[in-house]
Amino acid sequence: MMMFNALLKKLMNRGDESKNVAKKRLKFALVYDKLEIKEDMLEDLQRDLIEVISRYFEIDRQQMSLDIERSEESSALIMNTPILAARHKKPQRNNARA
Amino acid sequence: MEGKVVVVTSGKGGVGKTTVTASLGAALALQGKRVAVVDMDIGLRNLDVIMGLENRIVFNVVDVVQGRCKLKQAMIKDRRINNLYLIPASQSDEKNVIQPENMKWLCNRLKKEFDFTLLDCPAGIEQGFKNSIEAADEAIVVCMPEISSVRDADRVIGLLYSRSITPKLVVNRIIPKMVERGDMLSHKDVVEVLSIDLIGLVEMDESVVVSSNTGLPIVMQKESKAGKAFMQIAMRMNGHPDLPVEDPMAPKSFWKKLGGKISRKNKVH
Repeated sequence: MMMFNALLKKLMNRGDESKNVAKKRLKFALVYDKLEIKEDMLEDLQRDLIEVISRYFEIDRQQMSLDIERSEESSALIMNTPILAARHKKPQRNNARA
Repeated sequence: MEGKVVVVTSGKGGVGKTTVTASLGAALALQGKRVAVVDMDIGLRNLDVIMGLENRIVFNVVDVVQGRCKLKQAMIKDRRINNLYLIPASQSDEKNVIQPENMKWLCNRLKKEFDFTLLDCPAGIEQGFKNSIEAADEAIVVCMPEISSVRDADRVIGLLYSRSITPKLVVNRIIPKMVERGDMLSHKDVVEVLSIDLIGLVEMDESVVVSSNTGLPIVMQKESKAGKAFMQIAMRMNGHPDLPVEDPMAPKSFWKKLGGKISRKNKVH
């Protein structure tokens, strides 16, 4: 009997059940809500990253890019920077900061 | 022993916060607890009419925190239910006349006298919400099985966590026959998305409208499914956290009943 009911339900349904659509949309909305990032946050992050990377590499600061790429499954922070040269001296934290 | 302050909140308006607050207050009092309910919606009070106490208001919560009256003077005693008191909101003040410190002070006093203080939080996440959660020990988040309500509930849950409160969820206005045909999120879907503990399920129930028309507590209407659900939620708040939550079921049609009978017979043979 259960099987019959299930079959009947499938025949009656026009494609997707609307609650599944709701659930999917809701999950995406919640992920995006939480990823809302203030404008200056990326700028601050870029400045900090340049500072850290510069301790190890000489980079082209003008060419550096930092973006958030969103796909259905996940979000990724993508950083791209040309490296001009490696710094072979062991970086000294205090000097680098100054 | 000090009582608990429980905030009833939802983010979105119109999902049934005030009805939930009034009903849980009445239910807890019927179960023998001392209960105060406080309307935190300054400027748009409604808990008083839902509880049928609107024509007995003299002082309000703003009068209390501003020292214009004593706490006792602002508490309206419900004459039908023992040990149930309402502190109404002010209808004429601005939202920000009350600050979080005021609420902490008020709730600390109420805790000494009452087993439960329920705060009916206004919709939104502004001043009234901040005042309410600042003073709360626990929280109940009310949500309907519908996208915008669940989204707002998620936001509010995040804000409660950041105050180290782990809220419990009430899914309100479930329409079982829509859930069964897949046209409404089930409570399981909602719990999965929000990932918090459920404290109760309330079906869409016409008697809630009747109850708000008359100002009679829904928990006193013996036939009401919603009333029963609220009594059970109150039990879970009140020392019986493991009382099982029943799935709301649609009334079965003739053919489904017949199907059920046949499948039961098949099982026997």
